[in-house]
Amino acid sequence: MVLELQKPRPIWQIMFSTHHTDVGLLYLITSLAFLFLGGSLALAIRAELFLPGSQIISDSMTFNRIFTVHGTTLIFLFIIPFASAVGNYFVPIMVRYKDMAYPKLNAIAFWMIPPAGALIWLGFADFTWYATPPYSIISAPGPAADMWIFGLKILGISSVLGAINFIVTILKCKHPDMSIGQVPLLAWSFLSSSLIILVAIPTFAAALLMLLTDRLGVSGFFNPAMGGDPIAYAHLFWFTFHPEVYVLVIPAIGMMYEIIPRFSRKPIHSYQSGVFAFVLLSIVGFSSWAHHMYATGMSFTEKTVFMVGTLAAVPASALHVFNFIATMWNGRIKFATPMMWAVGGIALFFSAGAGGVANAAMPLDFQTHDSYWVVGHFHLFVMGTIAFGSIGYLYYMFPYVTGRMYNEKMGRVHFVMSFIGTVMVFFTQHVLGLYGMPRRIFDYPPIPEWIAMNQIATVGAMIIGTSMVIFLINMIYSSGKGKLANTEDPFGVGGKYYYPFEAKNPSH
Amino acid sequence: MKKMIVLFLVLAVMVIVPVMESAFAAGDEPGKYLDRRVIIWNLFFKMMTVAFVVGAVVSGTIIWQCWRFRESNPKAKPTPYEGTDWSN
Amino acid sequence: MSGHSSWPEWIYVGVVIALMVWVGAEAWNAERLVDHIPEDAEVIKVTGQQWFWSFEHEDGTKEIGELHVETGKAYKFEITSKDVNHSFNIHDYVVLMDAVPGRVNTVWFAPTEVGEHDIQCREYCGLIHYNMRGKLYVEEPSS
Repeated sequence: MVLELQKPRPIWQIMFSTHHTDVGLLYLITSLAFLFLGGSLALAIRAELFLPGSQIISDSMTFNRIFTVHGTTLIFLFIIPFASAVGNYFVPIMVRYKDMAYPKLNAIAFWMIPPAGALIWLGFADFTWYATPPYSIISAPGPAADMWIFGLKILGISSVLGAINFIVTILKCKHPDMSIGQVPLLAWSFLSSSLIILVAIPTFAAALLMLLTDRLGVSGFFNPAMGGDPIAYAHLFWFTFHPEVYVLVIPAIGMMYEIIPRFSRKPIHSYQSGVFAFVLLSIVGFSSWAHHMYATGMSFTEKTVFMVGTLAAVPASALHVFNFIATMWNGRIKFATPMMWAVGGIALFFSAGAGGVANAAMPLDFQTHDSYWVVGHFHLFVMGTIAFGSIGYLYYMFPYVTGRMYNEKMGRVHFVMSFIGTVMVFFTQHVLGLYGMPRRIFDYPPIPEWIAMNQIATVGAMIIGTSMVIFLINMIYSSGKGKLANTEDPFGVGGKYYYPFEAKNPSH
Repeated sequence: MKKMIVLFLVLAVMVIVPVMESAFAAGDEPGKYLDRRVIIWNLFFKMMTVAFVVGAVVSGTIIWQCWRFRESNPKAKPTPYEGTDWSN
Repeated sequence: MSGHSSWPEWIYVGVVIALMVWVGAEAWNAERLVDHIPEDAEVIKVTGQQWFWSFEHEDGTKEIGELHVETGKAYKFEITSKDVNHSFNIHDYVVLMDAVPGRVNTVWFAPTEVGEHDIQCREYCGLIHYNMRGKLYVEEPSS
């Protein structure tokens, strides 16, 4: 327990601490702050798109900046730091070690996040979260573009440092009596995602540097006017960012592996399948990147290779769904708030994957590329699976971090509203894409079907937004004034909780 | 077991039919060009049929088991692991 | 701790793999059909630039912002860009291909009915990306 608001610790003690629980808390607060900032941008986008014409945003450049910062914030400043929060707090406990392998490096990796976030928000670039050249070189206004590039450079380094820490902690610092086959699945998920980060991020780091020198005019890697090829950037970018989506989802699945067995009052159906699925996905995830580039003019053979690589990753994800269903089977399930989020997340994970398989079929890309189908699809992953798993885990770890219980009724209301809202926004956007609406557009022609679907999506988004306000109130109020929790078994599900919740924080 | 066989037969038919289609060469004469809309949307509807069938099975299973195994179900009984040191 | 793999899991994995193979085969087949450009397709050069489309027919006729074609003919678009990435899209005919500066991408179609259709840009290209639109007019053959 590191956040006892009734007996507050000096803020500088937390800020200068290198203990994994404090660093985890810092990551947690930072990531939640950016969740709300990035989420507010989403509400602005949806409000604007409620009708054709300008609603609350006066010009398209502002709109373009808003969706760029929305995507950049939620991926790099919410999802990844939130996973780092969970990993920092729990991985040392799970492997029965006193801290992360390199505590000072750990703190440094965290402290890179706020300046990077400041660079991104103060710059407010407009070139989408891909920053594709030639636009990002010859047309995107600076200094916003350059600030974004520097911000992401710093975030990439932070990720790599964190990954090194997780890998060494799990493989080298685990308790001598614990074999690698006894390490919990949540820790395995951090091991897998950290390995992917180590292999994938350096490619993007190179691409960012090349983009910067291109912008400065000293090189022409991606600028056709100087003999370069914009498609080269696309390959470098997607070689990193397709595996990166697995970096995003694997920890969330790991979090569900904590929640679902515990609330079903049974062990996980097959630990070995879980490990196998994580490791397989980490490897196969590198074979599909150019399915994001089907429309760039690739040859038939190239497209086929990447379609096969994409489809090959599906059985690994499907194994997790089977594992969760088989775990719940014959259980005695307590549907407390964390469990609702985890199960809802699995259902949405499956539907996201199903839509993705349709996407992988090459000719269907002609229908769906860069349309709202894609927006609906990936949001079912990042919101429906990752955010749901993360928020569920946040409710789950709340009593352990604060010693108090959140308000269960508000938690359930939060879930139901978010689930309905998520379905309303993102399922509808699949259909909207089939009707041809492109992504990243500030305004659209007054086609009646487009208007109707945009309105449904906006209403759904507002429902999600309202539920997040309820969530914020619940979290803040309950941290200070919630009922004291039975920290041995706060949810009353039985079983000896094997993580000693008292991580030995030296200043606490 | 029977359901497996039926599912397998359905899938087998869905594989054989397109293989037969590809035996007919692509249209090349004026007035008889292939309509890309038809090819692509047909593929899409085939994918959607399978996706929704599989989706109904998976989500139906999840919904049913959440209902059947909820702790407030009168038929709910403790798992063999309760009362033991099962959380590993 | 359970570590065994039971037979339902193997069947499930088998079904998933079979489905993926089927999806791949169907998609491969459809792509093969769609990829095959008829030899007598008339070439139309498409140029995207911030923020409009321009076209040049085989006979040298140029059009800006609108394109006139005829039913019963096959057309092959040779697409490029003058500045940043764009993407040429006639959604009603499922025509979509990126316009990348420094290269030429091709896609073809054969319109069958008279009508008017929207042309839009499907790759973010800046300020007026949202309104980089055009009109496709499909007409009866003049001869």
